[in-house]
Amino acid sequence: MSAEVFSVFYQFADVFAFLILSAAGLAIVFGMMGVINMAHGEFIMCGAYVTVGLVNLGVPLAIAQILAALTAGLIGVAVEFLIVRRFYKRPLDSLLATWGLSLIVTQSMLLIVGSAVRGIGTPEGSFAIGGYTFSTYRLVLFGCAVAVLGGLYIVFMKTRFGVIARATMQNAAMAKALGARTGRIYSISFGIGTGLAGLCGALYAPTMTLIPTMGATFVVESFVTVVIGGANVLLGTAPAAVFLAIIRMALNASYGQIIGQIGMLVAVILIIRVLPEGLSSVLVRRGR
Amino acid sequence: MNSGRKLGMVLLGAMLGTAAGVSVARAAEPPLKVGLLEDVSGDLAFMGMPKLHGSQLAVEEINKSGGILGRQIELIHLDPQGDNARYQEFGRRLLNRDKVDVLIGGITSASREALRPIVDRTSTPYFYTNQYEGGVCDASMISMGAVPEQQFSTLIPWMVEKFGKKVYVIAADYNFGQISAEWNRKIMKDLGGEVVGEEFIPLGVSQFAQTIQNIQKAKPDWLLTINVGAAQDSFFEQAAAANLNLPMGSSIKVMLGFEHKRFKPPALNNMHATANWFEEIDTPEATEFKKRWHAKFPDELYINDMGYNAYNALYMYKALVEKAKSIKLDDMRKVIATGDACIDAPEGKVCIDPKSQHTSHRMRLISVGPKHEVKVEKDYGTIQPYWLGEIGCDLTKKNDKDQYTPSHLPKKS
Amino acid sequence: MFKLLEGPQTLGRGKIFWSCFLAVLAGALTYPLFADSYDVGNFAYFLIWIFMALGLCLMWGYGGMLSFGQTLFFGIAGYGYGVLAINMGGGTATIAALALSVVLAMVAAGILGYFMIWGGINGIFFGIVTLSATLVLAFFLGQTAGPEWHIGPARLNGFNGMKGMDPLAVGDFYIEGSALYYVMIALIVIVYLALRMLVNSGIGNVIVATRENPQRAEMLGYDVRKYQLLTFVIGSGLAGLSGALYTSWGQFITPSSIGLPAAAMPIVWVAFSGRSDLTATLVGSFLLLFGFQTITVYSQQAALVLMGALLLATVMLAPQGFVLGIGKLAADWWSGRRPRDDGAVMAEAGRLQSEES
Repeated sequence: MSAEVFSVFYQFADVFAFLILSAAGLAIVFGMMGVINMAHGEFIMCGAYVTVGLVNLGVPLAIAQILAALTAGLIGVAVEFLIVRRFYKRPLDSLLATWGLSLIVTQSMLLIVGSAVRGIGTPEGSFAIGGYTFSTYRLVLFGCAVAVLGGLYIVFMKTRFGVIARATMQNAAMAKALGARTGRIYSISFGIGTGLAGLCGALYAPTMTLIPTMGATFVVESFVTVVIGGANVLLGTAPAAVFLAIIRMALNASYGQIIGQIGMLVAVILIIRVLPEGLSSVLVRRGR
Repeated sequence: MNSGRKLGMVLLGAMLGTAAGVSVARAAEPPLKVGLLEDVSGDLAFMGMPKLHGSQLAVEEINKSGGILGRQIELIHLDPQGDNARYQEFGRRLLNRDKVDVLIGGITSASREALRPIVDRTSTPYFYTNQYEGGVCDASMISMGAVPEQQFSTLIPWMVEKFGKKVYVIAADYNFGQISAEWNRKIMKDLGGEVVGEEFIPLGVSQFAQTIQNIQKAKPDWLLTINVGAAQDSFFEQAAAANLNLPMGSSIKVMLGFEHKRFKPPALNNMHATANWFEEIDTPEATEFKKRWHAKFPDELYINDMGYNAYNALYMYKALVEKAKSIKLDDMRKVIATGDACIDAPEGKVCIDPKSQHTSHRMRLISVGPKHEVKVEKDYGTIQPYWLGEIGCDLTKKNDKDQYTPSHLPKKS
Repeated sequence: MFKLLEGPQTLGRGKIFWSCFLAVLAGALTYPLFADSYDVGNFAYFLIWIFMALGLCLMWGYGGMLSFGQTLFFGIAGYGYGVLAINMGGGTATIAALALSVVLAMVAAGILGYFMIWGGINGIFFGIVTLSATLVLAFFLGQTAGPEWHIGPARLNGFNGMKGMDPLAVGDFYIEGSALYYVMIALIVIVYLALRMLVNSGIGNVIVATRENPQRAEMLGYDVRKYQLLTFVIGSGLAGLSGALYTSWGQFITPSSIGLPAAAMPIVWVAFSGRSDLTATLVGSFLLLFGFQTITVYSQQAALVLMGALLLATVMLAPQGFVLGIGKLAADWWSGRRPRDDGAVMAEAGRLQSEES
């Protein structure tokens, strides 16, 4: 019996980690900054490729993953400087710009790196409970997801940078008038967002097939999670992921993956209908 | 079809016929145009590239050795980027504007189905070069790849005998996966086996923790993995990480997706497949062929069966045209009807079956070891694509233009 | 009534514009006389998609509703046409199948629109709900490969797609090639002029007013939800028209015409062209469809890179869209003598900005 209970927890943790890790970066870039980043998946892909490249050069996996996240973050800062900063005033156009960017990046990767890259293998380690065996690495992913949530909360709620950043996102002109260097705040925030996307790719790289279009498998889930989380991403994303993970896990387990996927999307439609401002609107109201 | 178009077709046919008739007389013949549609961008690029390469290699070789009926081949390749609508646009472009003499290509079954209605309205032959779920009974189409009666009728009995009667199926949730699963059910029933679970996975899904536990709950003796695409291939890595450790069988792994080259050992350990081609074949003809391929494309990670079949398609076309002494589909089909449409391919001799226009193949059962080494377990010799003929498809008599499955059989007439 | 062809909501007025319009139309009508029959058919194919773009332009550019799910209605009508044409038989019945399938898409749009608009869904949430809806349909249709999924003799046939329906026909005459081309031209002209009249009418003014400020429009006594629903139904009906025509053209439709990335394409066309104007959308979408196909034919693997670069460059260099950007350049060049044109463009820019804020 305990095996069944643990199995349910494990499945929940697995879906939850996937949703949180793929959505965390987008929560900042799209949820806070309002940039509709269609290239989000490509930052994830970037993290994965850098990780695999470094591991093949002999760098230990954990260090490669951190370096990959940093690389994605730095590239994000550059992209922000060259492209994204022109679009803060016209968010809908950011969709077209980042979509163009995503096309360029995926196809260039295909031309430069080739269509298939040899995987690096998941770190050894599995354990058995009852009749089931589980991969230890999936629990590491869950741990990372929780750590990312905690880290985001601390950075944006408890540090001086976080306070200024939130002020800037709410009213850039006012923040500027009060002396905040809003340009730099925007670019650092964007870098954190893409760095988290890169981290997601880095963490999932050992468990997936690497192809240039791999980012696409993350995109729908991440947008959906951020959107139903609502305006306050720091409060909304976690409950959104919990909610979607429970629905998805329950349907996956009893009716298979197709119904799981369809059911999750229907749940999204219904929740937006009931709470047009997203989940966080309820939490914020309660908080007052 | 309106009468004007019909007239045009007749005229065109007459012109082509005349052109072929006088071909011996004139020295500088216009080249034969071969239209090729392969995805070299997008999700399927890693399968499409070897197909393009195989076609290019065959064209180069044939042109060097004097062409077909003394005419050189001009290869016109367009990249539909994995988009069915582009397949239709480009199919029309190649057929109506470039007026190609033969059309080759398509990876997914959907892309083939997108092309067939367009090809069927012309008199141009179409070669589909993939192994697939089988069942297409269409006079315009010649299939070069292996089909379920060649793959599953060999693999599944072997797996049952070796590992046991309980199988769990993981299949991509689209026609290929569903029809393959149907085949498995039928064969398992005949063998007295049991399908303890079937799971259909939407394309693009990459997370399999739940699937792995469902499998452990069902306790099968072996797995049939007919999952498709790069995302779904992640299953192997995740199953290995969770120490699932079950024997696996498949009709598309190893020789098609070269998962044993793309994943770190031992993710593909204990995988089995029946194939007409895999790069590890070491007959003298195969070795010679591999040498030519790697000389032209030194960066090729693996020569997969799709690329190999694409290569064969051009030689088969050459054989048909030269035997028919004509590039018209009707004349080529007369050659096929004699049952004598054969070529000596790197795998051995392969022939086109007159009733279904599918290709016979030399099938071998291979297994993958813990270090991802490939071993031939059993050589079945030549297997005919007999199923369509058995259920009543006979293209020498009637053009059904339909696709049949074990649960969708031709109506008795 | 024809006065409504010109007005504050549409660019282009006066003799010069309409002379150009007639010249383009005349060119289009005589094109098949000297062009290759393949090219004529190919142009007709591009025109099929334009309806979906015009519909989205109405909803997004004029109504301020960004739908990410126009392919939902494209798919409903596309599959609807297939099912109806197979069940009702070929011949003239295909015309009825076309009309009914468009009605079907509009009914679906009415239901989904009522659900969303009366629920107060707007902004990006509107996009996510429509996207989710279109993905649900795509996933559902993808798993209908078995023979048990059929409507009458019409098999849905899963991911491989539905086929076997007749193309549009009148009696024994199939509307294909040049005939299809002329039908497309006629439909485009009708839809384009009708939309111009709609947006310049009283209804159009309310639609635009709602985009600018829903509360204010509400205060003026309009039930804005009704106007939004009307816009949504018309826009989606046009997407449905594209879908039914597409199925008829290729005698084939698959779920991948409904899911991603197909769902993003109409947004790309309209955003590229300049969503604030019907003429810009019409011209730009056609150019983009033509351009993308040409790039793909001639540049092989570099095609997607070039397409991406084209989009990126457009959105960075011509914020109001490719066609309006070119128009502005031309106007600047011309403006030595005629500052009025510049003024129009500036007004246009102002309109765009007020929309963003």
